[in-house]
Amino acid sequence: MKNVRIWFRKVGLAKYISHLDLNRCMLRAIHKAKISLWYTQGYNPHPFITFALPLSLGICGERESMDLKLEDDDITKEEIIEKLNMALPHDIKVFDVTEPVMKPGKIAYASFIIKIDPENKNADEIVIQIAELFKQDSIIVSKHTKNGYIDMDIKPYLDKTVVTKIKGKIVISTMIPAGSTFNINPNLLCDSINKYLNLNLFTEITRINIYNESLEEFK
Amino acid sequence: MINNRIEKLLSNVQKPGRYVGGEINSIIKQKDEVDVRFAFCFPDIYEVGMSHLGMKILYSQLNQVPFIWCERVFAPWVDMEEQMRQNDVPLYALESGDSIADFDIIGFTLQYELSFTNILNMLDLAGIPLKSKDRHSLSQLVVAGGPCTCNSEPLADFIDLFFIGEGEEVDLEVIDLYRKYKKENRSKQEFLIEVSKIQGVYVPSLYDVTYNEDNTIKSVTPKCGAPATVKKRIMTNIDNSYYPEKFVVPLIEIVHDRAVAEVLRGCIRGCRFCQAGFIYRPFREKSVDVIDRQCHALCDNTGYDEISLSSLSTNDYSKIDELLDKLLLWTNKEKTGISLPSLRVDSFSTELMNKIKSVRRSGLTFAPEAGTQRLRDVINKNVSEEDLLKTVTTAFKGGWTTIKLYFMIGLPTETLEDIAGIAELGQKVVDTFYNNPDKPRGKSVKVTVSASSFVPKPFTPFQWEPQDTIEMLQKKQRHLVSSVKTRKIQANWHDADTSFLEAVFARGDRRLCDVLLEAHKSGCKMDGWQAFFSLPKWIEIFKKCNVDPAFYANRRRSFDEILPWDHIDYGIKKSFLINECKKAYENVTTPNCREKCSSCGAACFKGGICSEKR
Repeated sequence: MKNVRIWFRKVGLAKYISHLDLNRCMLRAIHKAKISLWYTQGYNPHPFITFALPLSLGICGERESMDLKLEDDDITKEEIIEKLNMALPHDIKVFDVTEPVMKPGKIAYASFIIKIDPENKNADEIVIQIAELFKQDSIIVSKHTKNGYIDMDIKPYLDKTVVTKIKGKIVISTMIPAGSTFNINPNLLCDSINKYLNLNLFTEITRINIYNESLEEFK
Repeated sequence: MINNRIEKLLSNVQKPGRYVGGEINSIIKQKDEVDVRFAFCFPDIYEVGMSHLGMKILYSQLNQVPFIWCERVFAPWVDMEEQMRQNDVPLYALESGDSIADFDIIGFTLQYELSFTNILNMLDLAGIPLKSKDRHSLSQLVVAGGPCTCNSEPLADFIDLFFIGEGEEVDLEVIDLYRKYKKENRSKQEFLIEVSKIQGVYVPSLYDVTYNEDNTIKSVTPKCGAPATVKKRIMTNIDNSYYPEKFVVPLIEIVHDRAVAEVLRGCIRGCRFCQAGFIYRPFREKSVDVIDRQCHALCDNTGYDEISLSSLSTNDYSKIDELLDKLLLWTNKEKTGISLPSLRVDSFSTELMNKIKSVRRSGLTFAPEAGTQRLRDVINKNVSEEDLLKTVTTAFKGGWTTIKLYFMIGLPTETLEDIAGIAELGQKVVDTFYNNPDKPRGKSVKVTVSASSFVPKPFTPFQWEPQDTIEMLQKKQRHLVSSVKTRKIQANWHDADTSFLEAVFARGDRRLCDVLLEAHKSGCKMDGWQAFFSLPKWIEIFKKCNVDPAFYANRRRSFDEILPWDHIDYGIKKSFLINECKKAYENVTTPNCREKCSSCGAACFKGGICSEKR
């Protein structure tokens, strides 16, 4: 029995796989790849599978991780990568297998790239408008919580946010709080743009990396 | 592949995974390298349609042919439909993202009557003219198959041709002919006349229907050389019949998210209310080795860890124990579970239970269908109270504490005593639990009695019967609730309103085409979903079209009336059905096909149990 942390990219159409469905999708791929998982020994045996930080529906991920408990101690990293990639949907690719170092609870920040297609509008102007918006003293957006919608100021969390134009697209690069204790959904940034600038443009969000409290890369 | 225009809509809808394609085992071809593009449309949402075995079989089979590209299309949920209409995105196929208006053949599967409005809505969403006569070219040929084609008259104005019976062979024959006629630049009319000569193809526009003054049918006259009766197609040897080694594995959870093996076709039972029991005859079994091989291939190619042994009645598979033993040789090792979706009351053994128990202990469901022995004899459901109580004793001993019992109300000859009998039978199951010394400790029993409303269907011995009125069905539902005396039994029932509409369309004729069109214009869709179905709206539509729905649902037909589906031939003789109907009134049962042949007529197909030596 050994614990492994599987690292994968979840891009393209796979961003439409919800967290629950990703769980099922991974288990099916592991079953198809004939990798033996360790099962709990109780009344209702089930495998251990944990995702460090679930990704919101519709967001791509470049460095996602999943922890598994394997039955087979001898299986190599290369074997796992090859077998899983044969079994996974096209847009999910495993690129590394490591021993878990940090606990998922240590995650505190995540970095994102938000790409906005200006469609038929002037990209340079929008870049300036967004940069101005993010300089405001407060940026109030409506956030969906268990108890309905609440107003929230996202300004305090935008200190590591840059807006530029790359290859004709508006690109926002940001690092915001993430994890199980406090989390800012990058969609709130897009909501603020839609609300304050009255835009509704095609937007792609990708989570690039995740970090702990000291901004060290999650391992 | 879906394009940016479609993708932009997805941020505004629930479950976008329904609309993107890209699943494992979905088939992508180059459109300029194929001759025939086939849009396989399921008139309900993705999760429902993707669970349908027939679609999986035909999708894989058509794509085996190099010159055909078959793609999947589902009805978008209302939120997505709204987005599509607002942004002028036509209904598209999941593999290519292309509008289905660009396809050669648009095929629908007709699984239940309440999906008929979705068919019109889907055509409309693709910008395809709804009526057959308004589509002039050979492309955009709209075809349909599935069980409801046994009486497809309510769709006769919209669909160019129907497949009658099993599609594996006839679909390919029709597509071959289509390909030839397309290459030769022949007209749609020429094609329809020629295709009507293929057995199992029904071209409604080649039949003239006239009516008597009382609105019953006077005559159905074929023209242009179309056959007087259209005989269904079947696969006589299902071992050799095509079965996919791969299923498209959805990215999101669907209704039946597992590998499915088809162990047999048809049913030996002949329950008199059951259309499937007659239209899929004769009873044909696959051999153990073939099922085992197909199951293993499917699990290897999909990663599913559950196999469902599917059929109308899997316990009737003659080698069920041998099959389970063979499967268990590898399923245990590979941590794959086996489930049996339909269990008969009289064949649930401890041995069988032990073999399938390893999967999961969800509730057990049985269908006695009627509350008293008299009524069970009327419907030819050959199970006794003793069978049921023996079965639940076995289940309780095995640790189950939740039993679900399915019944129908509104059956022919039914009285309020029969309704009370449902509650009494539930009570006896509860009593059996408490009288059982081996019952699971510290647990209570829960028995659910679920009553659906009987819908008389074509090609059954009850095809001449009136359906109970909605008022009567509701009265019976109330009587059921008041007959239940304990909280261990929970009684629930299906809405009688939807059963009424189902009854109208199940035995409808071509005059319902206008009703469907009007319903579509009034925004009726997703009628199978409680949240969208509105009977008052439908009643208004019937009034507007000057059609009395009770004529179809609540009227007793005479045995000599010409029925709208009389020119469709499922091998079952009308004289057999009449005889069965008379026997029902006398509470006389009919032995099953394995016990004794009752000469229903299905032997004309020279296959399965009809040609076995006994």
